[in-house]
Amino acid sequence: MTTDYETHIKSGRRLKSDAIHGILFTAPAITGFIALTLIPMIVSLFLSFTDYSGFNMPKFTGLANYQKMFSGEDLFFYKSLKATAYYTLLSVPASIIFSFAIALLLNSDIKFRAFFRTVFYIPTIVPAVATAVIWLWILNPDFGLVNTLLMKLGLPVSSWLFDEKSVIPTIVLIGLWGTGGTMVIFLAGLQDIPKHYYEAIDVDGGNSFHKLFNITIPLMTPTIFFNAIMAIIGSFQIFTQAYIMTNGGPNDASLFFVFYLYREAFQRSNMGYASALAWILFIIIVVFSAIILKTQNKWVYYEGEKA
Amino acid sequence: MKKTIGNISVYIILCGLGITFILPLVWMIRSSFMDIAQIFILPPEWIPNPFTLNNYIEAATMAPFGLYALNTVIILVFGTFGTILTATMAAFGFSRLKWKGRDLVFSVILSGMMLPGVVTLIPQFIGWKTLGFYNTFVPLIAPSFLGGGAFNIFLFRQFFMSIPAELDEAAVMDGASYASIYSRIILPLSKSAIVVVAIFSFMFHWNDFFNPLIYLSDDTKYTLAIGLQQLQGQYVSAWHIIMAASTIVVLPCLVVFMFGQKYILEGIVMTGIKS
Amino acid sequence: MKNYSKITAVILTGLMLATALFGCGSTSDTVSSDTTSGGTASEVSSGTQQAQKKEPKEPVEIVYTCWGSATEKKATEATIAKFEQENSWIKVKTMVIPNANYDTKITTMVAANEPLDISQLESATIAYPLAEQGKLMNLKTIAENSETPLSDFVPEDLFYLDKDTIIGVGNGLEVFNLFYNKDMIQAAGVETPPTDPEKAWTWDQFVETAKKLTVDKNGKNALDPSFDPKKIVQYGISFPKWWGLWGNFIYSNGGDYVTQDGKFGLSQPEAVEALQKLADLINVHHVAPTPTAEKGLPGTEIALQTKKVAMAIDGQWVHLPIDSAKFNFGSGVLPKMKELKTQAVTGMLSIYANTKNPEASWKLATYLVDPGQDITLYKNGNLMPVTKPWLTEKDKLDQWTTNTTARPDGYVQGIVGMLLNYSVPTPTGTVKNFNKIIDIVNPALDKVWLGQQTAQEAMKAAEAKAQPLVQGKRER
Repeated sequence: MTTDYETHIKSGRRLKSDAIHGILFTAPAITGFIALTLIPMIVSLFLSFTDYSGFNMPKFTGLANYQKMFSGEDLFFYKSLKATAYYTLLSVPASIIFSFAIALLLNSDIKFRAFFRTVFYIPTIVPAVATAVIWLWILNPDFGLVNTLLMKLGLPVSSWLFDEKSVIPTIVLIGLWGTGGTMVIFLAGLQDIPKHYYEAIDVDGGNSFHKLFNITIPLMTPTIFFNAIMAIIGSFQIFTQAYIMTNGGPNDASLFFVFYLYREAFQRSNMGYASALAWILFIIIVVFSAIILKTQNKWVYYEGEKA
Repeated sequence: MKKTIGNISVYIILCGLGITFILPLVWMIRSSFMDIAQIFILPPEWIPNPFTLNNYIEAATMAPFGLYALNTVIILVFGTFGTILTATMAAFGFSRLKWKGRDLVFSVILSGMMLPGVVTLIPQFIGWKTLGFYNTFVPLIAPSFLGGGAFNIFLFRQFFMSIPAELDEAAVMDGASYASIYSRIILPLSKSAIVVVAIFSFMFHWNDFFNPLIYLSDDTKYTLAIGLQQLQGQYVSAWHIIMAASTIVVLPCLVVFMFGQKYILEGIVMTGIKS
Repeated sequence: MKNYSKITAVILTGLMLATALFGCGSTSDTVSSDTTSGGTASEVSSGTQQAQKKEPKEPVEIVYTCWGSATEKKATEATIAKFEQENSWIKVKTMVIPNANYDTKITTMVAANEPLDISQLESATIAYPLAEQGKLMNLKTIAENSETPLSDFVPEDLFYLDKDTIIGVGNGLEVFNLFYNKDMIQAAGVETPPTDPEKAWTWDQFVETAKKLTVDKNGKNALDPSFDPKKIVQYGISFPKWWGLWGNFIYSNGGDYVTQDGKFGLSQPEAVEALQKLADLINVHHVAPTPTAEKGLPGTEIALQTKKVAMAIDGQWVHLPIDSAKFNFGSGVLPKMKELKTQAVTGMLSIYANTKNPEASWKLATYLVDPGQDITLYKNGNLMPVTKPWLTEKDKLDQWTTNTTARPDGYVQGIVGMLLNYSVPTPTGTVKNFNKIIDIVNPALDKVWLGQQTAQEAMKAAEAKAQPLVQGKRER
């Protein structure tokens, strides 16, 4: 179908390198990045080597902040890092699979599609307190819906948010109700898959599974890639849910890293130390994202890049 | 037969899950018509008794919500426009144009999202203040015109990269400029992505409490999200009134989403690239 | 090291340059000699014109920040307008900031040298960190020469940095007390919680009453051998799980957060016993909801109103919502362990060290804490006054405790009495490093409330972590 163009490509008629236009188009973004992000980042990197409360002149203290973290003197560092890593490990695959599945359902030829799409987006727009109240009721260990149901079925019950062991999986579960944004991105991605690809499978006598695995998933890899990177960035920086539902408890089991560093920055006046914590998290996120970026060539398929 | 069973199970899944997704909204709306004493009764009661509209009346008199809405709309109209304009431009530069260092620059921009914003807040604030923009809408709008954030650039880039390369190559051969490839080919083919970003941008500005709180000092410039927060007291929160105000604030979001999602539809059906 | 500090200085000047430029642009006019020239005679609050005639003052503008809801905002703005009218030389730029992220906003403003003169502050999270960096003014001098000397304030209202430095005055005091639903007390035929501090319940009396008020699904109370603690429909008592609450009983049992000789106090026998007795209400006597059951309960006023709970320990401020919930309620003094004690907590008003207008700022501070200017927040149950005359003189007391349903019978004897005679100042102002210590204690106590550990075990485990953070108490 595209043989004409493949000829062009092979004959070297692809778009030429064009730095001037490249920079022209990206200039607003690059300016914004330098001014709004890069400079503040450099300042915070500098502050991470200081004793700074937000109110004093920063005092240079070398690696002291970092030493405090790794020496075990900081009683919350490893604990909150572990909680956050555990959360990320569970949440990234869970949220992507869940929202992809919902997006597929919502993309099928069903009635009331607009209504259902809206329904699944709703938890992202109602105030977090409303969502929290509902979940605290549904998952209440003593009289919640879920435990009542489990008991009737003779299944073991859980303490959900009130047990150190189950609190993080529970937050992951609740988090699935807030993946409306990811779902919408998947939906948009699904729309961009050319219909005639599916028609080809129909002609060959393939079924829905062939369509899903041979067309949908390969062509959705750029979107999956995007959502995976975003999920990693977002999960490592999880904050709100812990704040509203558990306030870090029980026994600091859900004291997530950014929750902790926010507390250090603005409620304990340790901005210098909070900066150091932030930079450690930065390095962790960069490493994980880089791994995914590196593997990109192996599994992400770009129509615009095929050659 | 097989198809109907499949269809029915799809509806069962959607309805079953859907109920739990809609519950918080229902809870909020029914609370907005209740006395405060009824709101927290467990298990929840779903019919307000007595039914009251007072919460709405009280909410309306508590803060100048009309003014706050106006401020919010100003910020979000500019913010959304700027985001779509500059993020698509940047994404175009990062996906459809070839230049040295392109992917490196892009990765660096992406990394900006990986440092928790808590620790860049003070330098950012000092920066805006130094430029004389404290207590103006500039710090709330300008970032949208400067790329609109790495998230949106990245999102657009992913979508642009899925557009077959043949299209702009053909255009180049026909002598089209990059500007016209951007505006005549890429943008029209990315309607879904643009709608998604527009929805996100709307929601962000509509609900953003933190940035307006930090960058504004006159209450005449406050936004709806701050207005909602103003209903919360230190010790006592009038939840019935908060829920009434929240219902009013959430409603436009629902409408915008319902309206917007219609356009997340077959973006590239015309990819019959047979010239 | 010298090199480093040089580099630091250079970078900083570079990075925070502008702040300095903007923030200090107008330091030239030195602090007017308020303390010396602003004689006491000129400050008669009613005589606005008089004051102006006597001493025409340079007009000044001060910036005041406080937190509050929309309702509180309106009240504050009305008071400030009145203040400006009476002191026409002072203009006040008022910023009423929502509670959420208040500290973040203040931190950012201070970090950027955004001019601030006077702020309402939370003591532990932000006021002491500011004071320790020298950002807050010692109020002693400025107050001494004003018409509202610090001796007018109840001692629990003053925040000391050290013996000679007072960095803030509380803007409205709160103590803790026992609220109850009168109808439930009467229905159960138990004694009403006393309002006379002299007659405060002993702990055993209190537990006994709570048992009578705890009822299971079959209508049996907690004294009945067939009582089913798994099916409780009405609890005798509830108490929120934060230091404001359990701290009262640490003091009541003769303990403290830190000991005289600089040890972590909560693992000492008195404190452990107090915490265990509180936890026993939940896990042994089954008269208070478990933390999990409690998550389903709304605030104190609604728990009482909907008869989920018969009595509740909570802060004085609950008189406001409880009154607007409109049911038959009462409030009495706390039960005692060894002796009756309550912590007195409050937000505080502080003046920044770099203000150019300390006199005007202090004038505003005293105006804001004067119930005579706006009695609403006192009368509606929200706050208690902070100056002695308003807490002791009958005509002044009457103004905010009579003709209001928010102040139930025996309020003056009970709640005001507790403040005057049985209160200790908030530990956030007396215990150094309080927040850091609490960061260790709170998670440890989670296990105690859940019944997974004894108070002894939990506090012993916390001791090892908390001891290095103990820095003793502030002298006052």
